[in-house]
Amino acid sequence: MIRQIIVSVAALGVGGLLFSVLLSILSKKLKVEDDPKVAKILEVLPGINCGACGFSGCRAYAEAVAKTNDIYNGCLPGGEEVNSVICDIIGVKDLTSRVKKVAVCRCGASSNEKKESTVYNGPLTCKAADLLKAVIDCHYGCLGLGDCVGVCPVQALSIVNKRIIVDQLKCIGCGKCLLACPRNLFELVPFNEKIYSVACNNKQKAVNVKKVCSKGCIGCGICARVEGGPFTVTGNLSYLDYSKINDLKLLDVARQKCPTKCIDISEPSIDLDSNSASLNSKLCLKKQS
Amino acid sequence: MTNLVLLFISTVLINNLVLVNFLGICPFLGVSGKLESAFGMGAAVTFVMTLATTLSWLIYHLVLDKFDILFLQYVVFILVIASLVQIVEMFVRKFSPALYQALGIYLPLITTNCAILGAALFMVSKNYGFLESVIFGFSGGVGFSLVLMIMAGIREELKFADIPKAFQGAALTLITAGLLALIFVGFSGLVSA
Repeated sequence: MIRQIIVSVAALGVGGLLFSVLLSILSKKLKVEDDPKVAKILEVLPGINCGACGFSGCRAYAEAVAKTNDIYNGCLPGGEEVNSVICDIIGVKDLTSRVKKVAVCRCGASSNEKKESTVYNGPLTCKAADLLKAVIDCHYGCLGLGDCVGVCPVQALSIVNKRIIVDQLKCIGCGKCLLACPRNLFELVPFNEKIYSVACNNKQKAVNVKKVCSKGCIGCGICARVEGGPFTVTGNLSYLDYSKINDLKLLDVARQKCPTKCIDISEPSIDLDSNSASLNSKLCLKKQS
Repeated sequence: MTNLVLLFISTVLINNLVLVNFLGICPFLGVSGKLESAFGMGAAVTFVMTLATTLSWLIYHLVLDKFDILFLQYVVFILVIASLVQIVEMFVRKFSPALYQALGIYLPLITTNCAILGAALFMVSKNYGFLESVIFGFSGGVGFSLVLMIMAGIREELKFADIPKAFQGAALTLITAGLLALIFVGFSGLVSA
């Protein structure tokens, strides 16, 4: 009896010891070096896995940055602040500064402005309604069923009177709404204290635009004729070239002159400092995660 | 040789570890949602089960039998399986990061898969020789993967079916598992002993 106890204790003890020694030796020998930079980069990234950088998530991006030491300004939601920290981590001095971008919607018509002459009983998604050209008469404008609201990772989009409102302070510029909208209404524009945008996407002639919407761009070209202004009219539709904005006053002149009032303005912040704005959006991100 | 082929077929179909012996039900229900992950889990289990039965046979016959401490087999087998899984995980991580990513959490989960311990114990109770044990471990793993992938295939199709509310979710999964088990019992006449 005693012998059996001793033998079994010895056998198990020796067996366990053998395996543990083997495991510890192997764990030393087969150790996979985790790049310490990856963990550091992961710490500063927002961690919402939005995919705006082109990688499957923050982790994949961090690994890619640590490996290549190159694509350090890919994080859109983090903006300049995060990207400069990443630059410090991987030891790159030259920071190609990146402007924070936000989404604007190219349709600014509310429910009483865009005409609705059909009754739509189909699935309540923009994708389905767009196939039938249903809900609203305009074939270019916002359907107001909120496909974009659903994909926004930070809840920056909302629908008021069948019109999309972008909260530019919350918006991280990930571009998911650009992909979700079947009518390609969204555009990423540089963040500013006053964000102007042409809130119409209808490329048809004035007569046809007037038929379906009271707020549509009729392509009259008045905005384009403002001296030194950044507006151009091509194909019956006005476009704003954001790289040519020098004076915000000129934009306001054009806005006042527009006969259908389809140039939108939004003033996203009481803090006009763009740095604190990006800080604000970062706080939003922290709350999200 | 025919002996070994028969052993393979009978372990895969007739004495299937999952549907006839009801071992390893947890991963069978847990990892059978997607065909892709079911394949990964099946491959990992097959690999570990083959190694575990081989090593268990050696330890059982060379150590436990010699020192007359056969009652320790449960503890020793668990020790062997757990360490083996750890070693395999380290090897895979070092030499094939892609496979490590694909297997993901399934590899450490196998440590607590009762089908592996079951296979090792069956091998002892049926008095298999060394070669038979290796074949038994391998075919046990193949049978596990087969059943897991059948289940995953069915569940993927069921996602698109119009299911009455009372049957949705776990209820239908368990019913499907039961029907599959009935089918596998039907194989029992395939090879007459």
